[in-house]
Amino acid sequence: MEIVRNITRRKLRSFLTISGIVIGVLALTTMGALAENFNALLDGGVKYFGSNVQVGPPDGQSASLLPLSKIDEIKQIQGVAAAFPTYGFSAKPGAVAVVSFGIPDTIVAGDPAENSWSSLKTSFASGHQLDAVTTGGVVLGSTISKEFNKKVGDSIDLPVKPADAKPDFVNHAFTVMGILNPTRTAPDTFAYLNTADGQMLLKDSLPIAIRGQIDVTKITEGIDVYGQPGTSISDLDKIADRINAEVTGVKATKTSVLVNGFKSGGAIFTSITTAAALLALLIGGLSVVNTMFMAVAERVREIGLKKAVGATTRHIMGEFLLEAVFIGVLGGLIGYGLGVAITVVANALTPPGQSTLFLVTLPLTVFALGFAAALGAVAGILPAWRAARLDPVTALRNQ
Amino acid sequence: MANLQLENLTKYYKVGKNEIRALDGVTLDISDGEFVAVVGRSGSGKTTMLDLLGLLLRPTSGRLTIDGTDTGKLGDSQLARLRGTKVGFVFQEYNLLPSLNVLENVMLPLRYVHDRTDGRKRAEDLLDRVGLSDRVRHRATELSGGQQQRVAIARSMVNRPSLILLDEPTGAVDTETAQQLVTLLKSLNEQDKVTIVVVTHDLDVANEAKRQIRLKDGKVVSDEPVVAAAIA
Repeated sequence: MEIVRNITRRKLRSFLTISGIVIGVLALTTMGALAENFNALLDGGVKYFGSNVQVGPPDGQSASLLPLSKIDEIKQIQGVAAAFPTYGFSAKPGAVAVVSFGIPDTIVAGDPAENSWSSLKTSFASGHQLDAVTTGGVVLGSTISKEFNKKVGDSIDLPVKPADAKPDFVNHAFTVMGILNPTRTAPDTFAYLNTADGQMLLKDSLPIAIRGQIDVTKITEGIDVYGQPGTSISDLDKIADRINAEVTGVKATKTSVLVNGFKSGGAIFTSITTAAALLALLIGGLSVVNTMFMAVAERVREIGLKKAVGATTRHIMGEFLLEAVFIGVLGGLIGYGLGVAITVVANALTPPGQSTLFLVTLPLTVFALGFAAALGAVAGILPAWRAARLDPVTALRNQ
Repeated sequence: MANLQLENLTKYYKVGKNEIRALDGVTLDISDGEFVAVVGRSGSGKTTMLDLLGLLLRPTSGRLTIDGTDTGKLGDSQLARLRGTKVGFVFQEYNLLPSLNVLENVMLPLRYVHDRTDGRKRAEDLLDRVGLSDRVRHRATELSGGQQQRVAIARSMVNRPSLILLDEPTGAVDTETAQQLVTLLKSLNEQDKVTIVVVTHDLDVANEAKRQIRLKDGKVVSDEPVVAAAIA
């Protein structure tokens, strides 16, 4: 209670000081939420690509086409437990690429059985998984289903026909069989088809000149290769090396290369956003230092009196530190509250079909509030030390 | 009750190249339950002596013993603890904290001691005793000078000290209030057997004490019972 009274003694000064912390924590919360959202996106990539080996065409081959027979060759490689064909297409061909924190709408086709091998698990908000043989079905991610306002049983034309599409643009109607729960990563903007439908879209995507010459039922765009469940990244790298050494006409990318790429991307983004926010917070911290020094200067007699009635150096230091921490925590709580409010409003205002930008997590909450309290404590150390070391006689007779 | 022994107690200050002898080899005993007035001109060393007795200052040389404890051997924290438990202070300017109400001001010293049993009740009883039980929730700034000084006296008593040190307690109040304060001090001394040492310029206050010590240039020039001093 006394702390509150001490702080409200100089209302304007305290308001300005706390505002400094509020702005810093607000920046930390919003920038941190942005980074957390981005990291969640990348974590999905780490989970997905960290559990398999990506196999594509060899370097120098322009078309991403591989014979399906390569799957059988790859399955013979030591350590390989499963291999699946994969196909990928833009769900909105011709869409203008803009800067985005999300992954664009994508059609992904493959064997539904692959889901049990991938570390990136998805669950259904409604409907169910595709099966390998029934064509014409699609499973939509949470974001793309909202974007096109589709529910289970509805029909959706894929790829989506651009407004300026030429008359020969081809797409197909698919029945929505299932809608996934949000994952905050790639599946949210994906439309999943089975292999047969993927091959159909692959045929549509081939240049007319070669379309009739290629049997798409014998072609895949890529191959996802799995070891036994729990296979480490280093062991997956060894599988990639063996594929490259023993299977011709393919290129296996080391798992660690992809995983590290995602991690370093996330680390750089987090570093930039967090550093900017911490800078703002440190400036707020300096205002706490200034305020506490002024508080000490104004309360010299009070300090002298407290020493006269039995306060030790530790007591005085503790009281001033507590006051500084209180300022930090108060500013932190207000800044965090405002930051969360901004992220909630911004996410709510995100148009359907676009990934939300902010994700407030428990670690971010703990970090933002903990850092504010720690900043208050650190900012209070020097003033509190000065207060605690005051000579009581001099302090008591200070005018 | 407090028993104080000052042996050749000396305090020098250095001001530039000069050395000021604020207290110069004072030797005296103050026994349990005494009411002592320390008088003398400004600069005679009264306040320095009070600060030394209150353990706010360390002597340059000499020895101060309180109830058999040689205070020179104590560390800062031990001195603070001794101050908190054995010594009560009353200052000319009251030194009440504006952020606290009257009751909280009286209870302030309780924060720094281990024994806080019945602390609140003790504070309320003391405020009742100094006639301020109807002002416990008031801010110090809402009280008159005399009332503030009574709050300060209640504060000095809350930890049940054996020694109360007063520095010009009537210096900022009118004559009538000063007399009320002296009556209060005499009651504390007689009823609670608290040793009281008051530094004052006010002869009315000094003459109410049982013993009067006169300082000059940091030395004791007289140390007599008040009746004897008055006769002299």
